[in-house]
This record gives sequence, structure tokens and C-alpha cells, in this order.
Amino acid sequence: MLITKVKDHRKIQEILKGYNPFVFKCFGCREVHFPEEEINEILKEGQGHLKGIARIDYLCREEFTRRYLEAFENEVRATKSILVFSCGVGVQVVSRLLEEKIVFPGCDTFYLNGFQGVTAQDFDCEQCGQCWLNLTGGICPLTACSKGLLNGPCGGTTKDGKCEVNSEMDCGWVLIYKRLQSIGRLDLLKKSAVNVRDYNLIIRAAVK
Amino acid sequence: MNLEEKLKSGKFVITSEIGPPKGTNIAPHIEEAEYLRGKVDAFNVTDMQSSVMRLGSLATCRLLFEKGLEPVFQLTCRDRNRLALQSDLLSAAVLGIKNVLVLTGDHTVLGDHLQAKPVFDLDSVSLLKVATGLMEGKDMVGNELDGTPDFFLGAVVSPGYDPQELQLIKMEKKIESGAKFFQTQAVYDLAAFETFMKAASRFGIPVLGGIVLLKSAGMAKFMNENVAGVNVPDKYIKMMAAADKKERAKVSIGIAAELINGMKNLCQGIHIMPLGWEKYVPAVLETAGF
Amino acid sequence: MAEKTVMDYTKYRLKKEEEIREILAGIPKISILWCQKCYKEFKEDFEPECGQLKDILEGMGTEITVCEPVDFLCNNYLTKKILEHLQVDEPIGVVSCGLGIQFVAGIYNRRRVFALADSVLHSGNATTIGYHGIALGPEKCAACGQCYLEITGGICPVVACPKGLLNGPCGGASSDGRCEVNKELPCAWIEIYERLKKQGKGFSSFVEIRNYSIFKVDEKKRFEKANRNERTEGFYGGVHPLEMKESTEGKPLEDFPAPERIFVFLSQHTGLPAKPVVKAGDSVRVGQKLGESTGFISSAVHSGVSGKVIGIEEKIHPVSQTLQPAVVVENDGADTPDPSVMPVMDPEGLSQEKLLEVLRNRGIVGLGGAMFPTSVKLCPPKPVDTLLINGCECEPYLNTDNRLMIERSDEILKGAGIARKILGARRVVFGIEDNKKKAIESATKSAGGGSDVEVVSLKTRYPQGAERMLIKRTLGRDVPDTGLPFDAGVVVLNVSTLYSLYNAVYRGIPLVERAITVTGVDVVKPGNYIVKIGTPFYNILNSCFDSESLGKLNGDYQLKMGGPMMGIVQTSTESAVIKGTTGLLLLEKPIVEPSEENECIKCGRCVDVCPMELHPDYYAYYGKRKQWDKVVEYKVKNCIECGCCQYVCSSKIDLLSFIKKAKRYANNKG
Repeated sequence: MLITKVKDHRKIQEILKGYNPFVFKCFGCREVHFPEEEINEILKEGQGHLKGIARIDYLCREEFTRRYLEAFENEVRATKSILVFSCGVGVQVVSRLLEEKIVFPGCDTFYLNGFQGVTAQDFDCEQCGQCWLNLTGGICPLTACSKGLLNGPCGGTTKDGKCEVNSEMDCGWVLIYKRLQSIGRLDLLKKSAVNVRDYNLIIRAAVK
Repeated sequence: MNLEEKLKSGKFVITSEIGPPKGTNIAPHIEEAEYLRGKVDAFNVTDMQSSVMRLGSLATCRLLFEKGLEPVFQLTCRDRNRLALQSDLLSAAVLGIKNVLVLTGDHTVLGDHLQAKPVFDLDSVSLLKVATGLMEGKDMVGNELDGTPDFFLGAVVSPGYDPQELQLIKMEKKIESGAKFFQTQAVYDLAAFETFMKAASRFGIPVLGGIVLLKSAGMAKFMNENVAGVNVPDKYIKMMAAADKKERAKVSIGIAAELINGMKNLCQGIHIMPLGWEKYVPAVLETAGF
Repeated sequence: MAEKTVMDYTKYRLKKEEEIREILAGIPKISILWCQKCYKEFKEDFEPECGQLKDILEGMGTEITVCEPVDFLCNNYLTKKILEHLQVDEPIGVVSCGLGIQFVAGIYNRRRVFALADSVLHSGNATTIGYHGIALGPEKCAACGQCYLEITGGICPVVACPKGLLNGPCGGASSDGRCEVNKELPCAWIEIYERLKKQGKGFSSFVEIRNYSIFKVDEKKRFEKANRNERTEGFYGGVHPLEMKESTEGKPLEDFPAPERIFVFLSQHTGLPAKPVVKAGDSVRVGQKLGESTGFISSAVHSGVSGKVIGIEEKIHPVSQTLQPAVVVENDGADTPDPSVMPVMDPEGLSQEKLLEVLRNRGIVGLGGAMFPTSVKLCPPKPVDTLLINGCECEPYLNTDNRLMIERSDEILKGAGIARKILGARRVVFGIEDNKKKAIESATKSAGGGSDVEVVSLKTRYPQGAERMLIKRTLGRDVPDTGLPFDAGVVVLNVSTLYSLYNAVYRGIPLVERAITVTGVDVVKPGNYIVKIGTPFYNILNSCFDSESLGKLNGDYQLKMGGPMMGIVQTSTESAVIKGTTGLLLLEKPIVEPSEENECIKCGRCVDVCPMELHPDYYAYYGKRKQWDKVVEYKVKNCIECGCCQYVCSSKIDLLSFIKKAKRYANNKG
């Protein structure tokens, strides 16, 4: 789940005033948070400076975005700049389709746990390429532990089993311990070899 | 005079390089440096060059310093996050190391620990800025330092890089971030180097041209294919290929001297990377007229 | 056809055989759950991993007791339901990405759950994960929370540079601009440089340093909650499109002038069409019957004006979009009431049977859009304990129910009193979405003072106004798959229906007028109008829009009767208002219209939003291949055609078209 957060409003107004851009607002991944109302407010304020607005979903879907560019051909041609409210993928797609235009991202993007799949979750998968879940009772130490520790907790667990980084967060290793206890497999903790990540798995996958 | 003062005075500066060993057997490397005492002005100590795990640069720098040889501490962003980098810079300062050459560093996958996590928390430009900040008494987040280090910061540039303008843009950023001198990637193409130096002259900053002794025609070809920004002209490859094994060093020394002579009026010094041929460095310098 | 760049972003691969052998050593039997993958081309074939795993286990002599393929294993709500009905034995092996494995391990937290697959990373580098978009293109976003694309010409250095450098290239690129890490990769910074050159834009002079502490854990948790727990609160799925209600929510109900002619369709209800009881030349009065109900499920139609019957003509019906007979009445402007228009005396004292007859005679049908005869709905074959008043109006733009609730909630509740009496319902619940604050206030006020009507404020979500969703949300009851609300002991009536029921009983007026919302692009006179049933669309359009925008009806604009989600695109302005008309909207045509041709990329969004918990992705796949039996197998009959799946479809597949075709196929087959 990619989530977008509108950049500093003043900065966006400066872009509107200084560049008279054409605006794309992407409101998909539909039904995942997109701050459309906030964006509309900003655009209202800078109304006189826009060359036009296209409201689109799935801006990342290039073949559809192309059709929008055709439909707004004149407006797009009339400006050197495009302001895009979307996740980073959408901005890059527009930029690739309009290489000669200056493309401004209107949002910063972050992600929710569970992006790997299709539903937001309270746990996450880091796509590490070497699943550790067999050793940890099905709780991922990379994502449940702030430090991604593979060989047990650090000393930072609070008395009530929370993480030193954020007291809202459970200590992943306390959760793992409890889970292993409940399935009677604490031996896994004691027996398992010293675990070390292999980052080359990721690098190899990334550059393939 | 130290490196900084020599460069300021306008002296043509010569630096060389030491690659610490994989292990603790540092003595032969110090001996090699000793061999060049008085012939070169300072010694770069590489920071796990080619991403191969080795003895640290900082410790080796200190050993040179204790012998009265001037070290240049190479520091890469590959293995340390911003805390470690700042801490190591402070460590260098208390160990008496003043010259720091900042690099981004090769990627971990090019080395011998493919499984390692590449860090790259900062890059060469931001690290220079951070080091400058430390010299001004502040860490990265603005906290006051108790005791301020003093560095002579250097950086690298690759004259043979294409597009050249991109290197110049980054070079300028490095200067703005605090770099006071540059060492370059190995130069073999004098014409290209001249073009580069003409463009870089606007910065008014000392540049030490890079010299790597050719060991064979095969090495030259390999570098042309695999080393970024290096382009050995055919004539040198032919010269090396034509030389028989015993003659090679001599031919190589001749080529290096020719290059140094060609660079003399273009830049402010040279940086020799002997890659194991330390013993030939005096001959190179002698042939080049130093 | 549109150019297609579907990349395979399959999220897992089976662990190596040696590893599986090690993990499962000494285990005699195992249950296997495996995810059918996402973000890839939709294929009917089972994933090859399953076959490989079976071979490995066979080789080991491990018995497989259950082997269950699951679509979107990480869809926690649906998967949980599947697992509840599945008899799995310990231990359980899961073939999926880390999400699915963790989810299953969390559910069976007292059993051994084995991960038999490793997640695959498709992008990014070891310092950063790069996420692909919903549509599967080559661009990735690191979701770093501090977008740099402005200074890098729209190419992301965080993902595209293996070192994630922000201030220019390292020196490692080869002479032909390739990355030092992999010669197949272009150097991102050279690409950025070239791109910026094309834009005539220089490099930023800033020194950029990443901030890794931008998003707080609690902030993410809040979004996660909003996206997971709150989104499925009350009922599963649904969507929340922009409400677009602003233009008319403050417009009080206003009588729309009676037109010169009305076209009263004989079929404007579920069931058999009415039989005309007038002929050309007859004089009629307001409230006079024009057509008689012809069966149990049928309804009468009446005239909303006085004047002369011109005849029975064929007009384009707004629902079927085919020619259908309509009684055309010329308005004499006198508004002479028919003598039958008489309030029912002492309605509280009348028998249920008598009251039902009143409703039947006065043509009351459900006004939410389905137009089911209310008299039929109010005599369910099973006992009903609850009357549920539907004040959701969850479609964007529409405000008719909203205004009725604000202005006429006393009347609505009086109508509800009659319905309750007929049903003998113990309980009356009035559900209103929380974007209608004033309506909630007004309804609460009317319901107060001794009445036991429970007014419930509901978090706005489409299609909450659908009966099943509303029942689930307000009463927590499930209507069985092929059942109707009465199977759950409930009858649901829309507020407009109750208002017309009130009119029929207390004022004696048959259903000859209704409130509709008129709005849309370039609207000049947006409003909530009470219009005569049979008012031609052109009367309304000419009054509320200017001719220029109406001129675009054949081009960029389209006319929809109803809301934007379930409304029906109109092909003729000669059509007329029927009992089920909730609004007339002039809307911009979508630039990319849904097509049956587009390919599914298994993004799973349709499954995520389907309030009926169906699998619309299979409708697209099998529909395209005309395998209608398969579509029926995936319970297409349960579909309520709310359009959520099509609304979210990232491939813009015309899912409703497949659904309607499949339903027709199923009906023809019997």
C-alpha cells in the first residue's frame, strides 16, 4: 500500500505561481488513502495559475495515462511543467511520457505494512528472499523487530514487552518467544545456528 | 611543509598509495612506503579498495604518521552510516591525521563479501559537507562538538568519464561541500585530460593527475573494458605488447614518465597508484625528471 | 488495443528442495495452503509451485492431507472465512510470500506453520526496497517519504541507483553509461543528467541527505487501521468515492413545474407491466389510474396531471433503453384532482390487508431504484421482527433522500409507522450515513419524544444503501447467499418510499411525483426537485442546464439516471422520469472507458472491495473466454451490481458487462 502525503503547501503554491503547470491528480490505488480533498483545497487557491487538471486513477498504468495526455493535449502543450499528485511511480511514468517537461511531485510517498500483498496488514514482509519464519514461529524478525535482529532480542525491550524505539510497538522478539512457547518449539531458538542475512540475494534480484 | 602547505605554495605535488593487507601483516607495506620516503609528499591509504575486506585505513594512516610519513586517510560511504563516519573522522583527528580523501566507495557486490549490506547512508558530497561541519564545531544535526577537528579535505574526480559535464557538476558540488584538492582516476589520454583540466580550471582548485603503472597489454585492455573512466590509447597497448617480459617494466616506466611530463603543465601534481609496483616508483619519478 | 506492459511481479518462489527436506524432515503428514499469487497475468493454470512441492513431498514420503489453493491469501478477512471451513491438520505448510505465511501462522497460533517459500524482491537494492505501482510497469517508488523526483528530472535515484546516491553519480559507470554493479543496468545518474538536459534544467545545488525518521510508527498505524479495520467495519468491502454532494445538499425540495406532456411508462416497477385503463382522447385527472396492476408482483400507474390522453406511444425506457409503451397525457394546467384522491380515514385502525390494498392501488413501489412493489415487500412469507429505514443514500451527488429526511422526517416516520403496523415489526431502526448530519438531527428529533425508533449514524461507505450491507452494518445479521432480507427477519424500506407511503395513506395521493436530484457538470440550476412521474428528461434538462453543455451530450458528456455508480447512461432525452428515478446527472464521459478487452493483472482490488465477497476477477477472465458456466460457478448470481469492482478495477475491465451477460445466461438456462 503506497500512501501519499502532500508536500509543503507553500512550496506547491510557489510551483503553481512560478511554473503555471498542468496538474495530474491520481486517486488510485483507489480506496487506499489519497488526500484528494486537501489537494483540491490547494488547487483552488492556485486556480488562476493552472493550465488544467486531469483527475485520473492508476496514473502508473501507462496505456491509460497516454490516453489522458491525448485528451488534454492542448493544455499540456501550453506549459513546460507538470505537477503530479501521486505516488513516486506515477510521477516517474508521467515524466517518462513527457521527457521534456519539468515534472514536479506534489506528494511524498510512504508505504503501509503489507504492500507486498493486496491488503494493509499489521505485519509486513521485507522481501528478503530467505524466509526466516520457520525459525520464529511465523513472526518475521526483520519487520517485527526495529533492528531486524535475527538471533534474539536486543537489551532494549521495556518491562511491558515493548520496543525501545517506540513504546506503541511490541518487541518482535517477545512476540516470537511467546509464539514459540505456545507451539512448544522454544528449542528452535536454542538450537538454531547464528543467522546472518545475505543481502546479495536482494541485490541480485534487484539488478536482474 | 605538509600536503596542504605544499599545494598552497604552488609546489608540484606527488602522492602515492598504500593498500593495507588482508590480515595483520602490515610491515611490508610500511617498508614500501619507507622506500619512497622523501620522493613522494604523501601516501593515500585505501579504505578496503574494491570492496575487499582488509586492514583499516585509519590504523595504517596512524602507523605512517608515527614514522613521520604523511598519510591521506581514504574514507568511503560503503560500510558506515553517518554516525560511524563522523566518529571515524573525529578518531582520525585525535590520531593526528589531517588529510582525508572522501569517496562514495565501490559497491559491495564488486568485492569479496557479496552478502554484505551496502550502506551508502551518505555519499561523497554529503560526507564532505559533514566533515566541513565538524571542522566548524557542529555535528550533522547541529550539536556542538567538544573539541573541533581540522582536516584537509580531498575528493576524487574521473576526467575520462562520459558525460564529462556530469563529473564537473559533481566536482563543483564537492568543492562547495569543502573539498580542497582532487585526485583523479588514472589518466592515459593526455588530450582528454587537457580538455578536462581546461574545463576544471574555473574552479581554481589543485588537481593531482592519476598515474597507474601499466603492467602489461592485457592489463590495459582489461582496464579499458572494465574500469570506469579509464581509456588507455592503442599506442601504449601496442608498446606494452611489443615489449618482452623483461622489458615491460622499463616500457611502463617510460610511458608513466611521458604522461607525467605531459601533465606537468596541466595540473598541480600527480597521484601514483603503483598497485604492487612500488619499487618502480623512484625510477618513474627520476625518468620524469624529479 | 491499448499497448500493454504487464510485468510479472510474482511475490514468492518455492524454497529449494534441500531446504524443504530439512524443514519437513521426520514429518509424516502435512496440510498445504498455497497462495494463487498476485500482480501478474491472470492464468487459469494452477501455480507450478504446487506441483513441484507435491513431487518433493512424494519423494520424501510425506503425506499431504489437505492441499488448498487460496486466492489472495493475505486478504485476511476472506482467507479467515475459508480457513474456518477448512479442516486442516497440523502441521501446516504455507506456500506464499511472507505476508500469507505470517497471517496463517497468526490464525493457527498454537500449531506449527511452515514457510515453504521465500519472498522475491523485484526492485530496489539492498539499501532500499522499491515498490511497483498497482499497474505493473517498470517504475518503482521507494516510498522514502521525501520525494526527490523534482530535482532528478523524474527518475528516482533512491531506487534506480544501486547505491541510492542523491548528489550525482559515483565514478563507477562504464564508458557506455552502465552501472558498476551490473552492466545491464544503465547508470541512473547519467539518465538523470540526460533527462534534465532535455528539460533545460540544471542540477540542484543542494546537498541532499536522506532523513530516515520521517514517518512515525503511530502515523503509519493510524493509516493501517483506517485502511484495514475501519474500511471493513460493519460489512466487508465497499468503496468511498468522492461524495460530490455539495452542489445540492443545501437546496431545499422545490416543486418542478408540471410539464405540458407527461410520458407515464406502463412498466416502472419490478414484475409485470401495468395494463392501460385509458385510451386516446380520455380526460384524466391528477391521481387517476392510467394503468392497472396485472398480477401479484406488478403495480398500478397514475397520472400526475389533469388533461387529455394523447395515446399510448413507444418511448425509450430509461432503464432498459429499449422502446416501451407509455401513456402520454397532455396537461391542461388545471390540476383537477381525481375523486379517488382521499386520505384514508383512521389509518391506525385499518387492518393490514386494507392498508396493503391502499398501497397496491396507489402504486407504491420502492423508490431507491429497484422499484419493487411495496405491498409485496410488506407481506413477507416469513415473520419479520425489524423494519429498517434506509437513509443511506450512499451514491455520490444524490441528495433527495437527504432533503426528505431534513424537511419531512415526521412524514417519513409516520409512513414507517404504517409499514411497521403492516409487518408487525417489533423494532424500527433508521440508518443514516454520517455525511448527512442535518438529516440525522432531523430524524433524531422526529423520532424523539416517546417513539422507539432507533436512529443510527453510519460511517459513509458505498454501497451501504444496499439492503444486505445495511442489515449487516446496523443489525449484524447476515442475509443468506440466495436469500432476501426477510430471511434475516428484516424488511428494508427507503425514506423516499416511506414518504410516498405517507402520501398515499395520509393524503390519499398515489405515487405520481417524487423527489430527484439534478446536478452535474456546468449545471446552472442544481437542485432537488419534486417532479411529476412521466416528466420528460428534456423539460428538466432545459430548465437546469444551458444549451451549450447539453450540446455536448453527444460528445464529451453523458446523462445518467441515478447516481454515478449504479446509474444508467441515457441515450435519449425523450425518455421520462419513472418511479425509480433518483436523479439526473450530467457527467463528463470518462477518458478511458471500461472495456471487455482489457487484461486482468491480479491486483486483487476487486476482491478487496466486493461487498458480496465475490471474485470479480474470475468474471473478467472467464467472461472474456465466454465460459459462462464458470462465471456462474463463482456465484455471479449473488452479485448486486453495485459496481465497486468496476470502480476500482486497475485494468478498467468492463466487469458489469460480463456480470450482466453471465446473469442473463444463468436465467436463460433456468
